[in-house]
Amino acid sequence: MVRTLLAAGAAAFCLAGGPVQTAQAQEKAQDKAKVFLSMSFIGNDWQAEAANMIKAMAASPAVASRIDLQVQVAGPSAQKQIQQINAMVQAGAKAILVFPISPTALNQVVKNACSKGVMVIAYDGQITEPCAYNVHIDQGEAGRVTAEWLAGKLGGKGTIVAITGVPGTSVDSGRTEAAKAVFAKHPGLKIVAEAPGMWSQAVARTELSKILATQGWDKIDGLWMQVGCFTANQMQLEAGIPADKLKPCAGEGSNGGRIQMLPKGTAVEGANGAYAPMGAPRISYASPPYSGAYALKLVLAKLDGKEVQRETILPLPVVTNETVKLCRTGTWQEMSEGCNAFQPAAVPNPGWFASIFSAQTPEVGLKAALNAEPEPAR
Amino acid sequence: MTSLAAIPVRAAAPASRSGAWRSALARHRGALIALAVFAILLTTVVLISGFNYFQFSFISSGGAALALASVGQTVVVLTGGFDLSAGAVVSLVNVVLGTGMGPGLGSQVLFGLAALGIGAVVGAFNGVFVAYVRMQPIVVTLSTMFIVQGVTLLISDKPGGSIAPEFVSAFTGDAIPGILPAPVLVVAAAAALWLLVKATRFGIGLYAVGSDEGAAFASGLDTRFVTFRAYVLAGLFYGAAGAFVSAQTGSADPLVGNAMLLQIFTAVALGGTLLGGGRGGAIGSIIGAYTLMIAVNILLALDVPAFYASVAEGTLLILAVVGGSFGRHAPLANALRLGLLTVKARRDGTLASSRRPHRPALVLPPVAGRSHPPAASGWLVRHREALKYTLPAYAGLVLVLGATQALNGNAMTNPGFFNALVVLSSFLAILALGQGTAILTGGLDLSLPWMISLVGIVVAGLVSGSDQAALWAVPLGLCLGAALGAVNGIGIVLFGLPPIVMTLAMNGILQGAALVYSGGTPSGFASPGMRWVMTGQLLGATPVVWGVAAFALAATLLLGRTVFGRRVYAVGNSPLAARFSGVGVGGTLIGVYALSGFCAALVGVLLASFSGQASLGMGDEYLLPSIAAVVVGGSLITGGRGRYPGMLGGVLLLTALSTLLAGTMLPHAVRDIIFGLVVLGAVLALRD
Repeated sequence: MVRTLLAAGAAAFCLAGGPVQTAQAQEKAQDKAKVFLSMSFIGNDWQAEAANMIKAMAASPAVASRIDLQVQVAGPSAQKQIQQINAMVQAGAKAILVFPISPTALNQVVKNACSKGVMVIAYDGQITEPCAYNVHIDQGEAGRVTAEWLAGKLGGKGTIVAITGVPGTSVDSGRTEAAKAVFAKHPGLKIVAEAPGMWSQAVARTELSKILATQGWDKIDGLWMQVGCFTANQMQLEAGIPADKLKPCAGEGSNGGRIQMLPKGTAVEGANGAYAPMGAPRISYASPPYSGAYALKLVLAKLDGKEVQRETILPLPVVTNETVKLCRTGTWQEMSEGCNAFQPAAVPNPGWFASIFSAQTPEVGLKAALNAEPEPAR
Repeated sequence: MTSLAAIPVRAAAPASRSGAWRSALARHRGALIALAVFAILLTTVVLISGFNYFQFSFISSGGAALALASVGQTVVVLTGGFDLSAGAVVSLVNVVLGTGMGPGLGSQVLFGLAALGIGAVVGAFNGVFVAYVRMQPIVVTLSTMFIVQGVTLLISDKPGGSIAPEFVSAFTGDAIPGILPAPVLVVAAAAALWLLVKATRFGIGLYAVGSDEGAAFASGLDTRFVTFRAYVLAGLFYGAAGAFVSAQTGSADPLVGNAMLLQIFTAVALGGTLLGGGRGGAIGSIIGAYTLMIAVNILLALDVPAFYASVAEGTLLILAVVGGSFGRHAPLANALRLGLLTVKARRDGTLASSRRPHRPALVLPPVAGRSHPPAASGWLVRHREALKYTLPAYAGLVLVLGATQALNGNAMTNPGFFNALVVLSSFLAILALGQGTAILTGGLDLSLPWMISLVGIVVAGLVSGSDQAALWAVPLGLCLGAALGAVNGIGIVLFGLPPIVMTLAMNGILQGAALVYSGGTPSGFASPGMRWVMTGQLLGATPVVWGVAAFALAATLLLGRTVFGRRVYAVGNSPLAARFSGVGVGGTLIGVYALSGFCAALVGVLLASFSGQASLGMGDEYLLPSIAAVVVGGSLITGGRGRYPGMLGGVLLLTALSTLLAGTMLPHAVRDIIFGLVVLGAVLALRD
């Protein structure tokens, strides 16, 4: 038993080797405000991209001189995020950026943090506790705008396949309910199949394949998907449907989807297979991955004593075939002039989310989303 | 769950005067080690970030829900069972409390009791099917999990609701302000209840059933009633955990408990309870739960970078178990001792295997003419046992296909439907071999999700659309999977880690590896050839359809006709008997996990080919289905029984069922319930 304890002690000692360095780092950062980022989960493309943009924002000169940001991942259970936020409060946080695993499960711990004078700001998702700050899009608007576009494109009649998000989340129910309310106004429109796509291109493909096993493309007139239009177009091409006969698809802002929206024959670098311009009829919306970076700016504003609204509703980024435009380099400057799709050579993953532009965040551009590097100072 | 850790190489030292306390120590070894590890972690946290009442309060409340649920799971695991419905019950209780509880005191007490009642009812449902209908715990509780999740979503399809503030402070406030937080009392009450139960006849019965159900029955124990009560008691604890979560969050979220499931099992394994039954206890699980939760504080205190968080957590998990297993009887020491003995025997020329050439040939006496011809034993008779476990899945498949035909009218006569069905089944069909083989040896492979994603990302990145590159990148990816799988096996064999802990830790490490390798943005895409396999045409079907047929044949032969296959069954039935019969148990286990890694890698490549590119987390959807398909196909989760054709039937049944449901307009919640009911019904015929 003694031996056991010694061995376990030795193992833990290696782990505990960090405190000395941490203490030094703390000394250096004393004049900066301590800000934490609590992510529930990092294992998907959106999360990793959003984390990159936050890190880039934290590295931009204006923010880096004021804020010392520490990024932590709790794991996919609410209990762990609760424990993590508590630990951050305990560690002397001035503010905590949160990607909340649930809009309600964190309420108690957030209330506690607020009472200790810590600013808690949620991005993308929402925390319903009144003392929390929130930065997100209007999910209902996203569902409504995309559904209205699709209804218009189909002339108010036809069959629709709906691929929804993660069942049981308020983002999913917000979007889906709003979209269904629009479809219900058009008696000619009929949803013929609906499946949860879990906000993943891979799952969207599996679910759509299951639906197609019994329905067939000829029985489908349009698609409403929270994520998966890129994949749906790819599958139609594989099934031998020519590019000019692609079904209208209302869905997410993946770069692959944006490139497909460009008119056929547009010159792009690194096009490959279905990741190429084809004039696909689309509306592309997004929950923008810059929301976390913007939230960090709001933290800075609050630290400077400025007034910050509790609720920041981000403008819904909407791109249609009429407004899609290719970026050459993807700097913030270029995006501010209206481009919204990126060269496949620069963004090799078509599932990557392309809605990274905000007028409020000139510190972050394409490089931030890809490599966590801020825009060069101008 | 059997592992080498359970096999003593030589008998324990003869009892001495100190034998009594030594054996008591040995019995509580798991819990004591867990306690030591937790103490060290807690000290680390306290040294770095200080200690005060607030810290004490939040650490005690942070782990309480997990601890309560783990106590429940421990009761089931002690009987040799497995309860997958734990997390779902927590969600259901949370939603019921969040939507129903009023502000009055009466309502709060009523709903507090309702929480326990819901848990007990779900537990009784499980208990009836496991104890009296004699179905496999994992199948029953998997079905229950889906049904309960569906009911939860029917009650509330999004987060919301609120819990009365008095209820919140009763569970998470202060028992004695500034001195004793309420969660400490809650957990202490659970521990006391467990110790009380353990001392009763029922408590002893739990261990007896888990150690050897037959022997327990023979010595006059009503084993069925004990098992039934174990599930009810477990349900009560899940209900309590759900009530605690409700208080902790002050609101309702239909998904809140689902992510707890893996953590519950990890806490049980960390606490020294043997999966497979008979050894361990709930006190260890409580400590295990708090150890898991305090990992969050350790990550923060040491400022572990985000991409490495899951790596650090996985490493911590392994260290926590390995750290406790050093000693004279540790698996590593045993392996070393055996190795040294072999070297010595080889030097002395006494090694059994090196004497083979001198072995006299076995001469059998001439076969006497039979007085009567052997009884006619047709194929059906010889394979009756295997058919009994294999057929239900196929019978279920036929029913589901019939339903699809009836609903859509174009399934049975439509070759495209069957083609799509097999293409969609291909991923699970391959995973079922790896997961199934691990299950046959009494283990589990939880590292599948990120094995799939990592290999998919690495291969797609190396291929970048070039068929030429695919020629070497795909085999390289498969080798990577097999090698990482072998690392799983080595950890299980050499360090005696429970398979759940080892593979779960590996999953975390692989997640970190995938994030670091891709920088969060996976690049690269499948080559035209790879895409052709999943989406092209060959002899009237998608090429992968023929691949699945060939794979199924190879898998059936591998498990049924090769030496490796026989060894897998031998290890699954009894590692000890297998070792005495000359089976290299360690080598077989390493081979099994390497095979599982290989299968996951193959699925990673196929998924990347199917989608055209690989993405982070694309393997997440395949873990539970891979286990479900294997057990629906008639395999025994505790090892030793099951055939590949049965597993394939399970895969086809589950895929056909989800295809049928995807084509309907039923709400997601109702689909979950139907899914659970069909799985339960399909395997009703599987009872022992």
